[in-house]
Amino acid sequence: MKKLSIPALAMLFVACSPKAPATYSTANSVPTIFPDYTDITIPCNIAPLNFLIEEQADAFITVLKSTSVEIVIKGSEVRIPKSKWNKLTNAPEISVQIFGYTDKQWTAYKPFKMTISDEIDPYISYRIIPVAVEAYEKLSIHQRSLTSFKENVVFANTMVHNNSQGTCINCHYYRNWETDNMLFHVRQYKGGTVLVLNGELHKVNMKTDSTLSAGVYPAWHPTHDYIALSNNRTHQSVHAASHDKLEVLDDISDLILYDIKNNTVSVIENDSCELENYPAWSADGKKLYYVSYRYEGGYGDKRKNEMFLAREDFHFNLYSKSFDPDTRTWGPVVMEYDAAAVDSSITWPRVSPDGTKLLACISTHGVFPLDQIVSDYIMFDLTSGSYRHVDELNSPFAESYHTWSSNGKWIVFSTRREDGVHTRLYFSHIDENGRFSKPFALPQRDPEFNREFLYAFNIPEFMKEPVHISPRQFASFISSTEATRSKYESKREK
Amino acid sequence: MAKARWILPVLLWIVLSFFSNEFLQKVEERSFFAFDLFWLRNFLYKPSGILSCCGAFLTQFLHIPWMGALIWVLLLTASAELTRKVFRIPNNLSLLSYIPASIFVTYNMTMGYIVYNLNIPGFFFLPVLGYLWAILTLSVLRKIQKPLALIMLTALLGFAGYYIAGFYAIVGIITAVIDIVLYSNCISCRIPTVTGALAAILLAPIAFVPTATYNLSTGWTIGMPEQIFSLSRSRMQLPIVAAMLFLLTMPLSRHFLNKLSGKPLSSIIQGLALAVTIAIPTVFWFRDDNFKAELQMINAVDNLEWENAIDIYSRLQKKHEKESSWQPTRVLVLLKDLALIKADKDGQLAFNFDDGSKIQKRDFNLPMSLQIGKELFFYYGIPGLCNRWCIEESVLSGWNNMTYKYMAMNAILQGNTCLAMKYIDKLGHTLFYRKWAKQQLELCGNNSFVSTTSPYDKILPLMCYDDKVCSDFDGCELFLTNHFNGPSPLNSTPLYDRVALLFAMKSKQSTLFWTKLFLYLDSNNPSKIDKYYQEAAYLFSINSRNEELLKSLPFDNNIKNIYNTFIDKASKVRNKNNEEARAIFPPNLRHTFYFYFYYINELQMF
Repeated sequence: MKKLSIPALAMLFVACSPKAPATYSTANSVPTIFPDYTDITIPCNIAPLNFLIEEQADAFITVLKSTSVEIVIKGSEVRIPKSKWNKLTNAPEISVQIFGYTDKQWTAYKPFKMTISDEIDPYISYRIIPVAVEAYEKLSIHQRSLTSFKENVVFANTMVHNNSQGTCINCHYYRNWETDNMLFHVRQYKGGTVLVLNGELHKVNMKTDSTLSAGVYPAWHPTHDYIALSNNRTHQSVHAASHDKLEVLDDISDLILYDIKNNTVSVIENDSCELENYPAWSADGKKLYYVSYRYEGGYGDKRKNEMFLAREDFHFNLYSKSFDPDTRTWGPVVMEYDAAAVDSSITWPRVSPDGTKLLACISTHGVFPLDQIVSDYIMFDLTSGSYRHVDELNSPFAESYHTWSSNGKWIVFSTRREDGVHTRLYFSHIDENGRFSKPFALPQRDPEFNREFLYAFNIPEFMKEPVHISPRQFASFISSTEATRSKYESKREK
Repeated sequence: MAKARWILPVLLWIVLSFFSNEFLQKVEERSFFAFDLFWLRNFLYKPSGILSCCGAFLTQFLHIPWMGALIWVLLLTASAELTRKVFRIPNNLSLLSYIPASIFVTYNMTMGYIVYNLNIPGFFFLPVLGYLWAILTLSVLRKIQKPLALIMLTALLGFAGYYIAGFYAIVGIITAVIDIVLYSNCISCRIPTVTGALAAILLAPIAFVPTATYNLSTGWTIGMPEQIFSLSRSRMQLPIVAAMLFLLTMPLSRHFLNKLSGKPLSSIIQGLALAVTIAIPTVFWFRDDNFKAELQMINAVDNLEWENAIDIYSRLQKKHEKESSWQPTRVLVLLKDLALIKADKDGQLAFNFDDGSKIQKRDFNLPMSLQIGKELFFYYGIPGLCNRWCIEESVLSGWNNMTYKYMAMNAILQGNTCLAMKYIDKLGHTLFYRKWAKQQLELCGNNSFVSTTSPYDKILPLMCYDDKVCSDFDGCELFLTNHFNGPSPLNSTPLYDRVALLFAMKSKQSTLFWTKLFLYLDSNNPSKIDKYYQEAAYLFSINSRNEELLKSLPFDNNIKNIYNTFIDKASKVRNKNNEEARAIFPPNLRHTFYFYFYYINELQMF
C-alpha cells in the first residue's frame, strides 16, 4: 500500500499541475500585465517578478521558459516560486507566454521576454512617507533585499517621538554603498545627524553660528572623510487645483563641507543671492557638482512669498568646483550646464561609479522635481561633454531621486508613473552604449502591492550589504544621546 | 432592583439609537474596516492590533446607529453578566457588575470633540473588548488545576494575550493571579501561576522589542487610547484605568461581597451601585447642542442633503430663539452657507439665520480644517486643499471611510482615474460603502458624465480660476474668504460669481460688493434680484449716498420698508453688541443684511 501511494500521489500531482494548452488561437498583442514586466532587462539575482494579468478571460495559464527550465502557472495572479525563479534566471533569457481562456477556447497572447543581465546590489533602502504636507507622524527608513522579498525597518520615527514632540527623519546615505559608514538626519525632538562611522554610532549637530542650518542633502566623499551637504531653509505650499500637489522651494540654501575626523563644518558656497543645492561628488572625489539659481529678491517672509509667485522663473543650472581632498582646497565655480538658457531647471545630479556619466533630473522650473508633473532625466557624457534627454526612462509623470548601483550597470529611481501621486521605485539597466533598458518596478510578493499601498517610496539608495545596526539600537541611541555640536572652520580656496 | 440589570441596557440602547445617533455615525465615519488581507495585515505588526482590528470591525456597524448601538450594548451587558458570574456576585448585589460597563459608557459618551483626537482604530469598542478579554483570561485560567498546565497556559495567555490585546491582557493575567492565589483549591498551583504571569508580564513587552517600531514607553499600556493633539493623557485613559482597577479589586472583594449577601447593607450597596451606574454617565455625558448639530450637518453635507443641513441649522436656531447669549459655532455657519449655496438659496436665505462664532466646547487645540476642511474645500472647488486635509487626517489618525471617500471624489474631480480607482477600491471592500464605490466607479474616466453628475456638477463650475499655490495656515474660513474675494477669474462661471457675491457680502466691503454684484448680474442675468442682494445693494447705496443707484436699481418696496424700520429701531438702541442686539431686535429685523452689517462684528475665524 505504501509502495503504491507515492507514485499515485506523484501521478495525482502531475495530473493536477497546469499544462500549456495544446490547441489555441493566437492574438497579436502582448497581454497587459501589472506591473509591466514585458520585454525588460533584469538582473540575474533579482527576486521573482510576480505580476497580475489584466486581460478579460475566464482563466489564464502562464508559461515561463528559459533554456533549462519551464514553469507553468495557473490564474491571473502569477506568483513565481523563488527556487524555480532562480533556475529561470540562470539563463540568458526568460520567455513568457500567456494563454487566456474565453468562449471555450484558449488564446495565446504575443509572448514577451525578460533578458537576464548583470548582477545588481543585493539591497536597497528607501524612506516610506505619507504624501502629506505637514503631518510627519509616520516616517520610516526601510531596507529591502533585492534577491528576495525580505524587507525590514532600519529606523522609524514612531520609535522615538511621542504625542507632544514630533520627530522627522530624512536623507539616509551610505559611503560607497557600504553600510558601516552611513548617515541620516533626525529633526526636531532628539534631533541631529546620525552618523555611523566604521559601525559606531555618533550624533552631530552641524548647525554653526556661521552657517544657515544643519546639513540636509548629503554627498559622502568617495575616498576621504568628508561629507558635502546642502543647507536649506525649505518652504512648501499647496496647489489649489493643479495635478501638481505641492510646490517646494528654499528661500535660502548653501553648501557646506563636514570634516568627519575633526567634526568641523566649512562653507563650500554661500553666496546670499545663489541658491546652491544637491551636492554630488565625481567618482574620484576631485570635483563637486551641484545646482544653483541666482535670486536677488528681498528678505524674510516677503522673500518667501515673492519666490512662490515667481517660482516658474526659477531655473537651476549645473555647476562644479574642483577639490583637492588632501589639502581640502576648492577651485573656482564652473558652469557645466546652462539649463536656464533652455527654460529648464536641473536638479539631483548623480555621477556613475566609473565617473563617465552624470544623470540628473530636468524639469520646467524649481528645485524639487518630485512634486512637479513634468520632471524627466537628462544624462551627460562626462568624457565628451555631450548630453541627451533619457527618453527611455521618462514618463508623463515626475521622475525624481535616482542612484547608481555600485557596478554602474543599474539605476534605481523614484517615479510617479503609476498614478501621478504615489512615488514607486523602478530599475533600469544601462548598456555599454549608454542606453537604458525599459524600466521595471521593484518586485513585490503581492503583485497588487503598488496599487494598494498608499504611502510613497523616496530616496532609494543601493547597498552592498544590509544595515547591521538594529532599529532598536538606533532608537536607544537617538533617545539617549545629545548631538555633538560641530565647529566652524573657514573655507580654503586656491 | 435586580431587574434594572435588564432595563438599563434597553434604556441605553434607546438613548443611543435615537438621541446620539449622529455621534455614533461620526465614530463610524472616522473608522475603516475592509475585508481585504492587504489592509488587515497592518494590524499584525503591533501588540493589541488584533483587538483594535476587532474594534474596527464592530465600529462599521455604527453606520446603522441602532445596529451598532445594539452590538455595543450587548457587549456591555455581556461584560456585566460575565463579571457577575466569574466573581460569583450574589443576585442582590448584581448591579455592582454593571459599574465597568457604566465606565465604558462614560468613556465613549463624554468624548465630544475628542472623537477627532483619537488615533487608535476601533477605539469605541476597544475598552469593552479588552475588558471581556481580561475577564475571559481569568475564567479560563481558573479552570486549570494542574500546576504544569497552569504555568504554561498562564505564560501562553500572557504572551499571546499581550500580542492580541496588549494592556488588557496584562490586566487579565494579574486578575487571574490574584484570584487563583486567593481562592484556588489547588495549593500547588499558586507558585506556577505567579511564575507564569511574571514571566509573561515582564517578558511579553520585551519580546516584541526587536521588531517594534513603536515607542517602547507605551510597552505596558499599549492598547490604551492615544491622542493626536496635546490633551491630558489621563483624560481618556482614566476611565479605562478605573474599569481595570475595578476588575483587579474584584477578587479581593469577592469574599466580602458573599458575606454581605442577604444583609441589609447589601440593599444599600445595590442601591449605590445603581446610582453610580446611572449617575456617572448621565452627569458626564457630553451635551452640547452646537456639537450635535455640527455632526448632523456634516453628515447631511457628506450625503449631499443640502436642505436637511439647512433644516438642522434652522431647528437649532429655533431651539435657542429665546437665549440672547446663544451663538452658532463657525463650523455651523460655514456648513450652513455651503448648504445654502448648493441648494441655490443663498440669495434668499443667507442672512435669514443668526450668525456668530461661539467657541467650541473643548479644551484642546483642534484646527477647523481637521473637522470640516475636506468638505469645505471639496465643495468649494479647491481640490488641492481637500487632498491636503484628507492626507493630513490619514497621517494623524489613520485612513477612514470619509478620507477615502473624499480622496476618491477629489481624484474624479481632477480626472485622475487611476488614483480615483485606488481609493474607490478600498471602499469597495467595505460592508456599507461598496454600493457608493460601485456608483463612483461608473464615473471614472467618463468626464462628460462627471460634469453632469452630483456633486461634481456644482463643483466644476467653481474651478474656473487659474491654479495658484496657497496655504490655509490661517484657517479655512479666512482662506475661502480671500479666495472668493480675490480678482474674479477671466472665465468665471455664474455659480462662481454667485458664491463670490456671498463672500463679498459677508466681508461687508462696499467696493468689493459692487464689483461682485455686477459680475453676478452680468453672468447670471436673474429675472429678479434676490432679497439679500437687494438689501446689501440698498444699504451700500444709502451709505455712499448714491442717489443714482438708488433710483436705477429695482428695489422692492419691502426692502426699503424693512431698512427704515431697522434704522428706526437701531437709532433707539445705540451701542449694542451682538448679544444685546439679538435680544432687542425681532426676527424680521434680525434676519436681515442690515443687522449682519451693523451688529455681527468681531467674528472669530478659524
